[in-house]
Order: sequence, then structure tokens, then C-alpha cells
Amino acid sequence: MEFELILKVLRALADEQVRYRIVGGVALNFWGLARATVDLDIFVAPDEANIARLRAALDAVFNDPEIDQITAGDLSGAYPAIQYVPPDGPFHIDILARLGERFTFEDIESEELEVEGVPVHVATPRMLYRMKKDTVRLQDRADADRLRKHYQLEDEEG
Amino acid sequence: MPVKKLRSLDEAEESCWRDPHDPLLWRQIAAVWELSRRLAPRRFPPGVHKHRSIEEANRQSERWLIPADEEG
Repeated sequence: MEFELILKVLRALADEQVRYRIVGGVALNFWGLARATVDLDIFVAPDEANIARLRAALDAVFNDPEIDQITAGDLSGAYPAIQYVPPDGPFHIDILARLGERFTFEDIESEELEVEGVPVHVATPRMLYRMKKDTVRLQDRADADRLRKHYQLEDEEG
Repeated sequence: MPVKKLRSLDEAEESCWRDPHDPLLWRQIAAVWELSRRLAPRRFPPGVHKHRSIEEANRQSERWLIPADEEG
């Protein structure tokens, strides 16, 4: 992914005051482990007003009519995971409203970090660990282990 | 660049972490992402793709990463 482009997206999310939390590989990068990734995963509050702000933010960066297909109805209903690929297709943004029955936006504990002057909302290492440790994906479990070791989460999570 | 000596793989992995408030972290991330973009450029099908679960979205992401000539 292109760091400057992701920064542009994050700046637009801040400008539009979107309620979101970064999870996944980008969150791991922002907590200190630089590594390649091809997507930006964000949890969003799936209410109409917030999703309208999300569309406005993405449109400010990509100016793409496809963005109108991202709706609060889908995210809070049958499609809690929506992937948006911008016109040039170099990466994708995974927009999540809930993770099965386990996590919704309200459950995602986060902190505000400042990335090159842009305020970003990132799920905490403990939250990322909780989200990743029991998944079937090997990469997620390996990430959970890295977080546990670096942030000494073992005692808290057992 | 200085030589760094490490006692184990765990120690090597731990040495990759930076403080999240270290401004050098952003430069390091930008460099890693740029290198990956050059070595393995990706192109995904543009548009909006809707999924009934995160698992379904993850499966789609994995299919996108398989080169066309390796797909069965």
C-alpha cells in the first residue's frame, strides 16, 4: 500500500468526523511493527449519519460513484463486512460493522494516536490480541502472539 | 548501519518493534509498504464487494492474492 494515500484516507476520516477504529495489519503497524499489508481494516459505527460521513470521506479522496453502494442498511443488516477497492485497485479498505456475535463497534477499545499530524483511532494492543488470538487464520494467531509478547498481555488475558 | 547481535529469534523479532510515538516509525512503515508495492504490486477488482461475514470477506481477500495462473 502507499503510505501517503492511506494517510489521505485517514485525514479525510478525521475531517468528516467519522466514528471508526483501525484494526488488522495497519493497526499492528501503528503500534510499532512495520510490515507489509494490502488492506486497511476499519470498524465503523453503522448508523446512517456515520456511514454518510464515511461515504463523504472516501469520496473526497477517490471521487468514485461506487462509494454510494456503501450503506448503513447493509452494514447493520445482512452485510456487516464490505470491501471497497478504489478505481486503481492497488489496495482495499475492509469496512466492518460487527465480527460475528463477538464484537461490534461499541466493543472495540481504542486509543487516539497521531500519525504525521493526523489523529487516528486505533484498536488497543489488548483489543487486537483479543480479536486475533482465537481465529483460524495462522497470520492472525501469529500476530496475537507477537502482541502478547511485546505488550506483555499474558497476565491480563490468561 | 550498525551491526546488531541477537541471542535468539525471539530477540530478533522483538528488535523489530518501535515505540508508536517514535516519528521514525512512520518513515519505516512508508519504506516497508513502498518496498512491498514495488516487489509485489497488487491489483484488486475495483468497486464495492459485500459479504455476510468477516470470514467470507477474508476468503475473498485470499482469493484475490492468488495469481491468476495458479487458480484451479
